[in-house]
Amino acid sequence: MRLTIRHETAYHYEDQVRASIQYLRLTPHDSERQQVLSWQLDLPRPVRAQLDPFGNILHVLTLDEPHAAIVIAARGQVDIDETREAEHESQSALPFLRFTRLTEADEALRSFAARECRKRKSRTALIDLMQALNQHMAYKPGSTEVDTCAAEAFAARAGVCQDHTHAFLACARSQGIPARYVSGYLFSAESEHMASHAWAEAWFDGAWYSFDVTNQLARAARHLKLAVGLDYLDACPVRGMRRGGGEQMHAKVLVTPTISVQQQ
Amino acid sequence: MIRTFFDEMYAADGQVRPHYREFARWLAETPEELLAQRRREADLLFHRAGITFTLYGDEQGTERLIPFDTIPRSIPASEWRVVERGCIQRVKALNLFLTDLYHDQRIIKAGIIPAEQVLANEQYQLAMQGLNLHRDIYSHISGVDLVRDGDGTYYVLEDNLRTPSGVSYMLEDRKMMMRLFPELFAAQRIAPIDHYPNLLLDTLKSSSPLDNPSVVVLTPGRFNSAFFEHAFLAREMGVELVEGADLFVRDDHVFMRTTDGPKPVDVIYRRLDDAFLDPLAFNPQSMLGVPGLLSAYRCGNVVLANAIGTGVADDKSVYPYVTDMIRFYLDEEPILKNVPTWQCRKPEELSHVLANLPELVVKETQGSGGYGMLVGPAATRAEIEAFAARIKARPNAYIAQPTLSLSTCPTFVENGIAPRHIDLRPFVLTGRETRVVPGGLTRVALREGSLVVNSSQGGGTKDTWVVED
Repeated sequence: MRLTIRHETAYHYEDQVRASIQYLRLTPHDSERQQVLSWQLDLPRPVRAQLDPFGNILHVLTLDEPHAAIVIAARGQVDIDETREAEHESQSALPFLRFTRLTEADEALRSFAARECRKRKSRTALIDLMQALNQHMAYKPGSTEVDTCAAEAFAARAGVCQDHTHAFLACARSQGIPARYVSGYLFSAESEHMASHAWAEAWFDGAWYSFDVTNQLARAARHLKLAVGLDYLDACPVRGMRRGGGEQMHAKVLVTPTISVQQQ
Repeated sequence: MIRTFFDEMYAADGQVRPHYREFARWLAETPEELLAQRRREADLLFHRAGITFTLYGDEQGTERLIPFDTIPRSIPASEWRVVERGCIQRVKALNLFLTDLYHDQRIIKAGIIPAEQVLANEQYQLAMQGLNLHRDIYSHISGVDLVRDGDGTYYVLEDNLRTPSGVSYMLEDRKMMMRLFPELFAAQRIAPIDHYPNLLLDTLKSSSPLDNPSVVVLTPGRFNSAFFEHAFLAREMGVELVEGADLFVRDDHVFMRTTDGPKPVDVIYRRLDDAFLDPLAFNPQSMLGVPGLLSAYRCGNVVLANAIGTGVADDKSVYPYVTDMIRFYLDEEPILKNVPTWQCRKPEELSHVLANLPELVVKETQGSGGYGMLVGPAATRAEIEAFAARIKARPNAYIAQPTLSLSTCPTFVENGIAPRHIDLRPFVLTGRETRVVPGGLTRVALREGSLVVNSSQGGGTKDTWVVED
C-alpha cells in the first residue's frame, strides 16, 4: 500500500512568543515494514536531523525571535508492506519492561492482565488482552487528558488510542513482556481518511509485533510508523515549551489534504 | 548479643593508637573549659557561614545545622594509601562498566551480570546507548562510602555516582579545625585537602575536548538540601552557579543568559537528578532543568558531570556485582571488600532474609539517605513485622546485609566524651587521571548505639586526618 500524506500542525498564540523549543518526531524511517520514498519537513527555519534515544528521527526546532504562530508541515510518500507480521531488531528489548508514570500497572491492571493472559507469554495471549481492553475501555474522545495515566483511564473505562495503548503496555509489562508505544498515522479504508494514531508493539523472539487496541488489529497493515518509546511522552510527534505567548489560541492538526492511496 | 567495635583512637587494650598519640596528648593537656569554649565558637561560626542542611520529611522544611564534632577522625598514611588505591580501583571499574553497558555489553554476554538486572533497571538510560563520551568517563565525581567492621577491616557500603554530596563539609570542617586549633596542625603532618576545588575544576575542564571550556554549576535551587554546597563549590572554583532558567538551548548548543548577552556553556557540573534535566525528554513537570539539554548533550556539544545514566552502576541491586566487575575489567583482585549482600529478588535469598531480619540491615535498592531501611538489631518486633510485609510485597526492591559493627571514634557528647559510630566518604575525581584528596568526609551517628550516619537522620561530621606515620 502506498500512502501519500501531508500533515500540518499550526499553533497560534494570543501574544508574541519570545522563545520556543520543540522536539519533533515527524519523520518516519525505513524498516522491514515501511519504505520511505520521499519525505520533507517544512519548518520556520532549517534544522538538522538527529536520532533520539529510541532511534527515532528527531528535529529540535529552537526559535528565539518573537513569533505569534508556528507552522510545521510534513509531507511524503511511504510504501507499507501489508503482509509483514513483525519487525526484527538486534537491540535488547529489556529496557521496555520498565514502567513509567503513564504506564504504571496498578492492582486493577495487573489482575486484568493476569486474567486475560493466563500465564501465557505469547502473541495469542496479547491478542486476547488487546480485545479485552478494547471491550473494557470505550473509545471516547475528550474523556481523558494528555497526561492521564493508564490506571486512571482503565478505572474510568474510557479513553482514546493513547490511553488504550498505555493500558496495553502496563498489562504486557506486568506479565514480563517488553512492550513499547508507537505513534504514527492510520489509514482508514472506510472513510478514505488518514489520522494521527497510537498503538503498541510487544516483543517475542527477537521481533516486535503490533497491537492496535483501538481498532482491534494485530497487524499494522494500514499504519505508518513515526516513532517509538516507553510511552506517549517519548514518542509523541511534537513536544515543546515556550516563553511568553499567553494562551494558546488555536492548534490545528490537519492530516488529510493531499492524501491518495493506491493499491499496488 | 555482645558486639565488639573497632575504635579508631583506642586499641583493644585501651592504649592510644600511634597515629592518635599526638592528639591524645594535646587533649589531655587542654583545659576542658577551653575545649567547651572552642566548640561554642565552632557552632557560631558554622551558623554565621550558613552551613545548614534542609531536612526531608520535615513539613516545616527546617534548616538545621549539621553538628560538627571537634575530635578528628584520624587515619595513618600507610593505611590511607590502601584505601585510596581501593577507591581508585573501584571507580575505574565502575566507569569501565558504564562504558561497556552503554556499548558492547560484554559483561552481560560473559554471564557475569544478568541482562534484566541492568537493562530493565529504571536507572539504565536508553539515551546513553551507543553515545561516546570524552575519555569514556561517566562518573567524574564519585563518593565511596566505607565502614569498618569489628576487626577494623574496611568495607565499601555503597558507591555514589550520581550527585554525591558532602565535600563542602569536608572542606569547612578542616578550615574550622585549623582556625580553632592551629597548634594541632603545627605539631604533626596532616595531609592538606584545600586543593579539592582546584582538582574539581581541573577534572571538569578535562572532561571536555575543548582547550578552555566554560564551566557552570547547575543547582535545583535554594530549596535543595545541598544548596549550600552548590554555592560553595561554584564560589571556590570561581565559576557561575546557575539554575535551569539561567540556561537555554539554541541549535543544540547550551547558553547562559548574562547581562552581556548569551554566553556558551561547555561543561555543566549538575547537581540535579537525571529525571529533571530536560523537561522535553524526561519528567515534563520539571521546572528545574533546561528544555533541549538532552539533544545538545547527545550531539556532543556539552558535557554533563556526572553523565546521565550513572545510577545503574550505583544501584543497590547492582552493588553485589562490583567486585566481579573489578576482576572482569581490570583483571585485579578487589582491594576493598564488599559487604556480603542478599538479593531479595532471589527466592532462596529472600527466605534467608525473612528468617533473619532481627540480625540484618535491609535497604531499598532505589533508596538513598537512610529513609527506607531497617536496622534489624535496633528495630522493635512490630517494626520488623511491618518491614517484612513490605519486602514480601516487592522483593525486587530490597537487599539485605549483615549488621556491621561499624567502627567508633571518641566524640563530644552531653556528658563528656564517648565513642560514636562513624563512616567515611572519600571523594574520587576522574579526569585525565583519577585522584582522591586524602581522607574524605567522616560522618558520625550522634545517638548512642545508632548505626545510621546520614545527616538527614541526625548525623554529624568530623574533620578527617591522614597523618604521616
